[in-house]
Amino acid sequence: MDLDANRGLIAVALGRIPAGDRAALQIIYRLTSAKLFGVVLRILGERSEAEDVLQEVFLTVWRKAADYDPGQASPMTWLIAIARNRAIDRLRANRQSRHLAPIELADEVADAGPQADAALEIAQDQARLHGCLDRLAAHERTALRAAFFDGNTYEELAARMSVPLGTMKSWIRRAMIKLKACLEQ
Amino acid sequence: MSDTSDHGTLPDDDLLAAEYALGVLGGAERAQAATRIARDDRFAALVVAWEARLAPWAGEIDEVAPPPQIWQAIAGALPAPPRRGMWESLAFWRIFAVASTLAAACLAAFLYLGVGGNIPPLVATIEGGGQRNFVATVDVTRATVAVVPASFSADATRVPELWLIPQGGKPFAVGVLRADRAVVIALPPPLLKIAASGATLAVSLEPPGGSPTGQPTGPVIGAGKLTSL
Repeated sequence: MDLDANRGLIAVALGRIPAGDRAALQIIYRLTSAKLFGVVLRILGERSEAEDVLQEVFLTVWRKAADYDPGQASPMTWLIAIARNRAIDRLRANRQSRHLAPIELADEVADAGPQADAALEIAQDQARLHGCLDRLAAHERTALRAAFFDGNTYEELAARMSVPLGTMKSWIRRAMIKLKACLEQ
Repeated sequence: MSDTSDHGTLPDDDLLAAEYALGVLGGAERAQAATRIARDDRFAALVVAWEARLAPWAGEIDEVAPPPQIWQAIAGALPAPPRRGMWESLAFWRIFAVASTLAAACLAAFLYLGVGGNIPPLVATIEGGGQRNFVATVDVTRATVAVVPASFSADATRVPELWLIPQGGKPFAVGVLRADRAVVIALPPPLLKIAASGATLAVSLEPPGGSPTGQPTGPVIGAGKLTSL
């Protein structure tokens, strides 16, 4: 019930923003800012940068709320995509090379598996995604994970996993093909 | 590639959409893809579909509360409302905030009630100290109360607890609330009966887990009468 209540509230509040309803944006902020801050902080790794991007995220929500289409994505999916995209844009704009730790396949993070996450209405989708990720080869899953959580480019992933760029591209592409096929089953 | 045959392949646009959504494109390619998203609705829809496939992964990321000044900065950066005077009046914004929170709560109630619920919900705005702290909606058909934080700020050591107070009676504990999201609590039949007969909802600050005594022990931060919509 909690999950449905939040999903409904966020969707209703998004619908009120195009009319200039600041309180609606504040409701969305209250319900989602901790999750979205976690997402941008994970990608950017630095608090002050993440705080700056979180502001951009909510200003983007304010400007683009009219584009949100409930038929295409749940409100939380839409918000998470904005947060990841703004954080990745910021990474790409900072051209300084980041220190990225090498990834050994042996350190593959044990897949955390689906968690009960009351802020997300997508617990079921999460279980399905995890089921499909588990069916990928370990190197594919490791590369996808670093891309999703750390915002790495193909080049960065290739360097971190010590494989040629072409190999990394084919790993990721094959993983995406398999993932889509599995999710559509 | 020799081994894609058993998994099929993706059209180029879908692959590019996947790469954009995952975030693996370098600066220049990413900027080109972003330009296409803005101009090409079909491509934009492919990107949204990939974002929807991947977003559930974010469920693994822990929440991190941003510092309180972030909201102030966002609110300060929003375009100035069109009219001065009324739009800059704090009282106006307070009323506006309540009205919109209330509307959101009611609409949300409808969303999970379905329109079929024939008994109208009961609503209370829980206010105190010049602030509307929570908005509560009692769904009589489902015997639940949904409580949404409006302008309530969290306290590190105490939790907000909801009480149902019958006319002229003692408070009954309903449940512990959250400052950061809506909470839905089931109402047992005796409480539902009280809620439906002109009762008041109040919120007090209690130790984590709620009042140890079954009666409010901390300060009451707000109260509001339940009225039928």
